[in-house]
Amino acid sequence: MIITISIVLILTSALMVLLVLLHKGKGGGLSDLFGGGISSSLGGSSVVERNLDRFTIGTGVIWFASIIALGLLLKHGHHG
Amino acid sequence: MLTAFTRAFRTPDLRKKLLFTLFIIAVFRLGSQLPAPGVNTGAVHRCVDVVSKGANANVYGLVNLFSGGALLKLSIFALGIMPYITASIILQLLTVVIPRLEALRKEGQAGTTKITQYTRYLTIGLAILQGTGIVAMASTGNLLQGCTEDLLWNKSWFTIVTMVVTITAGTSVIMWLGELVTDRGVGNGMSILIFTQVVAVFPSEFWNIYKTKGGFVFAIVLIVGIAIVAGVVFVEQAQRRIPVQYAKRMVGRRMYGGTSTYIPLKVNQAGVIPVIFASSLLYLPSLIVQMWHSSNPVATFISKYLVKGDHPIYMALYFLLIIFFTYFYVAITFNPTEVADNMKKYGGFIPGIRPGRPTAEYLDYVLTRITAPGALYLGLIALVPMVAFGIIGASQNFPFGGTSILIMVGVGLDTVKQIESQLQQRNYEGFLR
Repeated sequence: MIITISIVLILTSALMVLLVLLHKGKGGGLSDLFGGGISSSLGGSSVVERNLDRFTIGTGVIWFASIIALGLLLKHGHHG
Repeated sequence: MLTAFTRAFRTPDLRKKLLFTLFIIAVFRLGSQLPAPGVNTGAVHRCVDVVSKGANANVYGLVNLFSGGALLKLSIFALGIMPYITASIILQLLTVVIPRLEALRKEGQAGTTKITQYTRYLTIGLAILQGTGIVAMASTGNLLQGCTEDLLWNKSWFTIVTMVVTITAGTSVIMWLGELVTDRGVGNGMSILIFTQVVAVFPSEFWNIYKTKGGFVFAIVLIVGIAIVAGVVFVEQAQRRIPVQYAKRMVGRRMYGGTSTYIPLKVNQAGVIPVIFASSLLYLPSLIVQMWHSSNPVATFISKYLVKGDHPIYMALYFLLIIFFTYFYVAITFNPTEVADNMKKYGGFIPGIRPGRPTAEYLDYVLTRITAPGALYLGLIALVPMVAFGIIGASQNFPFGGTSILIMVGVGLDTVKQIESQLQQRNYEGFLR
């Protein structure tokens, strides 16, 4: 059980990194990190971006759930 | 002030943005509390208690400040925003060295997007490195020295790999959350997340001072803190306006130009970045010494002078580094020759000064002079926590410490200005009058 969830977690983690890197980076670098100019975001997101967002959120939910499950299992397995 | 808030919330567009930002912050804080799978939370908690009373409390204080307490909890967002900041700093420094990056930066929008993309890749790389380091230190017990309990339930390599991968993914999620806020929320996402981390440790720090020092010291701390915040706001807003006159031009049958504007040169053009640079640079040697327990002269020198924040040599070094980095960063971000050339191209000039090279020299002269008080101010503000540490014996991460206060005020002002500009688009009075 622990191994299955660990594998799921590793896979979703890798997928998560990949999906985030696929997003277009918004807001450039350090200069507007602290008190830079006002970055304007013109135009809405395209269909591709929106689907990517949905997919990322879905993966994120699975990722989050498997972290909690694995955390509980490891803790429980230790006691029991 | 309050009416402005209600107005902000009554504007549907703005309300959506504010609520979205709050939601992301909530997700971020939740992730910062959730321990990575395999961490023995109880043991970590007890160990942190032991260590924060020990000799190395300074280093942990700084680490904790930047990660909002997430690192010492070994949470899934343990690395926080640090890898992204480090990656940005590295790329920023590399643009000076590598011609290709400089060419990209001059290209404008497309080039900047590319540099941002490089920053993101580098962030993931750094996250893997730092994540491995932290998990390895946790498993060998080096992370929290002076504590003998096992921080992990299970030290098989499989569990450790899972933790590293999870923490790396956590860092990428933080990056995404920040970008989402920049894109659809209010203000710059990354700085808002840092702001959250810094503010998050405040209440417990305050409570600590109240508990250990009593009501009187607490009141003094509060008053001094508010005075410092007021001072920081004052200096952050200060700028010198250099008048620029644009000549009238005829293009076809229409008149252009003939307006007079100004170039604002802020006293503190560099923002908080010099302080962050300096503190992360000074933090490195003590971290290295902690990882390798060697006793050669360099290591003893470092552990004698550079680990303790209240040592005069450390303070002096910190101060000098901040001043150096202030000038360095202003030189990177503001290029007088470029500004002068642009002005010349559009027929602008500073009254009394010829366009072209004399203008660039004049701008350089003014900027160098105005940065001097700015750099001194940054250095002094950053030293406040250390001096306070000496005087009242408060903990190193005295809440009104330089870095945290600069980050708080800087980000706060910026965000309020953005909300304000959004409000003014709809003809409402803003927050700042």
